[in-house]
Amino acid sequence: MSESKISCTLQVNGETHDLRVPADATLLDVLREKLDLCGTKRGCNHGVCGACNVLVDGNLVRSCLMLAFEAEGSAVVTVEGTSESRTGSDVQQTLIEAGAIQCGFCTPGFVMALTALFAYEPHPTGDAIRTALSGNLCRCSGYVKIVEAAERLAAIDR
Amino acid sequence: MEYVVPDTLADACRALEAQGAQCLAGGQSLVAMMNLGLAAPERLVSLRRIAGLRGIATAREGGLRIGAMTTHAELARLRSDVPGAMLLAQAARVVAYPAIRNRGTIGGSVALADPAADYPVALVAADATIELASVGRTRDVSARDFFRGMFETALAPGEIVAAIRIPPGAGGGTAYEKLSLVAGDFAILSVAAIAGRNTDVAIGGYAMKPLLLTGLGIAEGGAADIARRLDAFGEPPSDHRAASAYRRRVAPELVLRAVRAATQRASP
Amino acid sequence: MTMATEGSPPRLDAGDKATGRARYVDDIHLPGMLHAAVHTSTHAHARIIAYRLDAARAIAGVKAIVTGADITGVRAGGIVKDETMLARGTVRYVGEPVAAVAAVDLRTAQRAAAAIEVDYAPLPAVFTPDAALARDAPVLHEEFANYVKTVDGGGQGNVVFESAITEGDVEQAFGNCAAIVEGTYETQAQHHVYLETNGCVADVDSAGRITLHATCQSVHHIQQRVAEELAEPMAKIRVIATRVGGGFGGKHASNIHSIAAWLARATRRPVKLVLSRLQDFEIQRTRHPARIWMRTGAAANGTIVARDVRITLDGGAYADESPAVLAFALLMSRGPYRIANVRAHGKVVYTNKLRAGSFRGFGNPQATFAGESQIDELATKLCMDPCELRLRNAMRPGDTAFGGQPVRSCALRDALERARAAQRAAPVLPPRDGCRRGVGFAAMSHISGLMGTAASVQLRADGSIALATGCVDIGQGADTAMVQMCAGLLGVTLDRVSYAQQDSDVSPYNWKTAGSRSTYMTGRAVAAATIEMRQKMLDQAARMMECAASDLELRPGGTIGLVGVPRTVSFKDVALHSLFRAGGPIAATHGFVFDGPGFDPKRASIHRLAFANLGVYTFGAHCVEVDVDTATGKVDVRRAWCAHDVGRAINRVACEGQIQGGFVQGMGYALTEAMHWNEDGWLTTTTLADYKIPGVLDAPAEIHPIVIEDPEPSHPLGAKGIGEPSLVGAAPAIANAIHDATGARLRTLPMTPERVLDMLP
Repeated sequence: MSESKISCTLQVNGETHDLRVPADATLLDVLREKLDLCGTKRGCNHGVCGACNVLVDGNLVRSCLMLAFEAEGSAVVTVEGTSESRTGSDVQQTLIEAGAIQCGFCTPGFVMALTALFAYEPHPTGDAIRTALSGNLCRCSGYVKIVEAAERLAAIDR
Repeated sequence: MEYVVPDTLADACRALEAQGAQCLAGGQSLVAMMNLGLAAPERLVSLRRIAGLRGIATAREGGLRIGAMTTHAELARLRSDVPGAMLLAQAARVVAYPAIRNRGTIGGSVALADPAADYPVALVAADATIELASVGRTRDVSARDFFRGMFETALAPGEIVAAIRIPPGAGGGTAYEKLSLVAGDFAILSVAAIAGRNTDVAIGGYAMKPLLLTGLGIAEGGAADIARRLDAFGEPPSDHRAASAYRRRVAPELVLRAVRAATQRASP
Repeated sequence: MTMATEGSPPRLDAGDKATGRARYVDDIHLPGMLHAAVHTSTHAHARIIAYRLDAARAIAGVKAIVTGADITGVRAGGIVKDETMLARGTVRYVGEPVAAVAAVDLRTAQRAAAAIEVDYAPLPAVFTPDAALARDAPVLHEEFANYVKTVDGGGQGNVVFESAITEGDVEQAFGNCAAIVEGTYETQAQHHVYLETNGCVADVDSAGRITLHATCQSVHHIQQRVAEELAEPMAKIRVIATRVGGGFGGKHASNIHSIAAWLARATRRPVKLVLSRLQDFEIQRTRHPARIWMRTGAAANGTIVARDVRITLDGGAYADESPAVLAFALLMSRGPYRIANVRAHGKVVYTNKLRAGSFRGFGNPQATFAGESQIDELATKLCMDPCELRLRNAMRPGDTAFGGQPVRSCALRDALERARAAQRAAPVLPPRDGCRRGVGFAAMSHISGLMGTAASVQLRADGSIALATGCVDIGQGADTAMVQMCAGLLGVTLDRVSYAQQDSDVSPYNWKTAGSRSTYMTGRAVAAATIEMRQKMLDQAARMMECAASDLELRPGGTIGLVGVPRTVSFKDVALHSLFRAGGPIAATHGFVFDGPGFDPKRASIHRLAFANLGVYTFGAHCVEVDVDTATGKVDVRRAWCAHDVGRAINRVACEGQIQGGFVQGMGYALTEAMHWNEDGWLTTTTLADYKIPGVLDAPAEIHPIVIEDPEPSHPLGAKGIGEPSLVGAAPAIANAIHDATGARLRTLPMTPERVLDMLP
């Protein structure tokens, strides 16, 4: 394990941060431990569960699989930042209203996946929704109400 | 751990000559291994700034040249008349999950050569060529020779996968069939088929590298014939996903499915 | 007075969860906080000879190390107290915590934990109940006879506990059967895979008082366990529940909290211990693997008259909740049927693997897989429709359950009929190419009850209400349900009721969030306390308005009025009067232990059962459609109809979410999930890449929850529970559908493509 520190400048939720972090720190490590942005969750730390999803230059990315230095020069948005966007807050509100949130640990990851989807396609089909969510694990809901929430949002002219 | 982020391929190849240096492409496999304590590279050579490794272009001789840092997501969106490229796009669409596809690269996948991965199978079926670069030289290796075994390739120390070339071809239909326990998982078995006058098929998960069956005609025999041809390759592996006998029993059916699907798509 | 359930209000905590504000254990940072890492056993069974800690101690930033040699050695646990907080003298499974380190950051702690060396003398190990029961098998717990056991289960050798229940005379009844089926069913170790791994933060003050912030299913349980293991009075241990990212039974028993508390006490600094996913797989607990032999017999007209059951549960290395899981598996093995003659016998066996313990369903999924598969097998033999066979034998209100407890509300027939009707009425969905379609049923019963709970309410100066219980919301929505019940009984909107975080210092006692008991048990306490406070408010208002309390009524919106007259006082008026003029602060508390009739020794002969009492019964029925790919054996569950008798749905949307989630978790149990150990006892499924739970593309696009309400008389609002039942019947419904599609009868879980293909004719 690396103990050497590097300088790393990251742009997260519109703010620039000059940081000193271990060279092998992941973006997830830095978000949670250096920037106090704990909304992004660590569910498995090996890229499968999706709880660590963030947007990097608008693309959905596993923050646990991105070394922090690789994010230099990119715009990172976390669930905290996505609350500020119209699409993000619509996604959050729809999930709340649809009863799609239970323990909530997977929710930030789903919010990011849906925000990425709806930013790209305001009226996705059911199949497109399922594919967009295919990398997010939820153990509580059985997924039905999450997909229903997304379908509800897809049917609205926003 | 140290890292460098070179701007040119030449700089990257030079950096790779240092002791303990390893390439960092999309990181979707490497960083996962680091997080699990299975890898601790001393020196990483990030490829993300190298413009020469990006982009999809028509190759001189027809077909496509795909830069090694092309992501699965980019390949999944590809529309092309080149059958091998369409096959690659079909495979790209079922690699893992969307977030992984946004970062994972074809170069990274090819260099890793996981026996359960999707690209190697598609590239072998497509008869692709892997372009390798190192300090002062480049060379081409056919995909059919490149994948040697489990995580074993023709890459020599200091070599980087620079691009993948897909040969031209007309009118061939393609199909990629993947059998996994749950969606997005590594394959238990996968079959890539390109239909032409006869169909070329590559099979993943049946051995430690993709197996090639050329000239399969749908009219001939069917599952039994395919099974006999597979026998020549010996016993498939048993692992926690499936036993050898299961792979043996299922592979011919999957091959038939892929051949049928590819042939249907080929007919105008 | 009706309750605030119209429209299923959104969960109180949903906004925080959707925006990332909700605070889970790993989000807690305290000043001066250290991080802990655990060093685990590399042997399945061995004596610990020596610890070599010098290399670990020498690492800069290491503040404390604890090993089994440093602890008191008190044995804690469930009914059989066989576990120490770290291995002491002997390790009994690969992955067992042996030592732990607290250091200034996680990397340092992990490096130090890896630098600890332990010398072992290996012992022979056993990995299956058969091996553990063989003559000359190594005995895992040589001191078993000296362990404290709160219930005598007759365990000896590697048998932890043995129980039996009998009603009627099975031998004679089988002699009169027209059709008998018999079979052995095998089920696997399933892991909870809550998205948030287990963890806690232990803090300590200058008097040595320890505060634990824990993702858990009971603050009171952890307080008790840590006090026991650290030899501290409970007054010196405080446990506060954080937001919990899923539990499903995996966080039901405490097994890491004492480690963090010990390190905090030793360093006099806060210590965070959060398990990695890998360590969570290795250290926590699984569902009990089971082997169930079952025999069921019926008369020619389809009346089921006899069932004989023998269950062997693989308990892993420590007893944990095994005696209770065994008891429940036996009690549920009759199924929701009026079978007059039933004999159920079972035992739990120690093996050198990770302990098995509580997991949603608690022995019922195993028993029901066997039982509901066998109902279909019996239907085939009788040439009867499987749904009809179930309807013919289904329990009814007024029946008694196996063991003799009365069943007052039971909507099982309704559930079966509605699930069947819904599937028949649904638009036809063609099967996928290359697949055969099958439809399968399962019926299930479960309970809500167990143990003790309490709630307290107070009226605040502005007329709003403070509600507190010890019931931890593990994601199922208990917080919101409690507030709904309280607000509904007082005729106010939800925002007028605040709900306290569970804190062992102040929260009324609650056993655990388990047993589908929160809405029923703690809900009863909430309702009773609220009703009592309501009466005190009416009494106070009566004094204020100089009339009789019986002349007053509660009006929506927080007022009390004289019947037939516009004159009212507000809750605030009542509060201010009571606080400043006369009467004193208005509050109420209600607590109780499950008080339903226990097992009936006149009906059932019960031998060494871990429970003396259970709860009220809930019922359900599933109907599923599957496609079986005949070339690969892969099973795709296309649609499901899940009908559940919940008594009264406090929050209908939350009930639906529980039904759907439980079904999918049960589907994982049925088709893809299994923990694997290699021949040396190492767990090979330690990541989410190896252990596969269903994703959105695997789960059916349609899971139709059918919520049936037949009020339970013992609950003021008629509610029962819904947390577990939908998981219980998923696997047999799918197995029955596979049989319907292909004729293949699978009796082993999970029903992987390989197993299905092997069974296809």
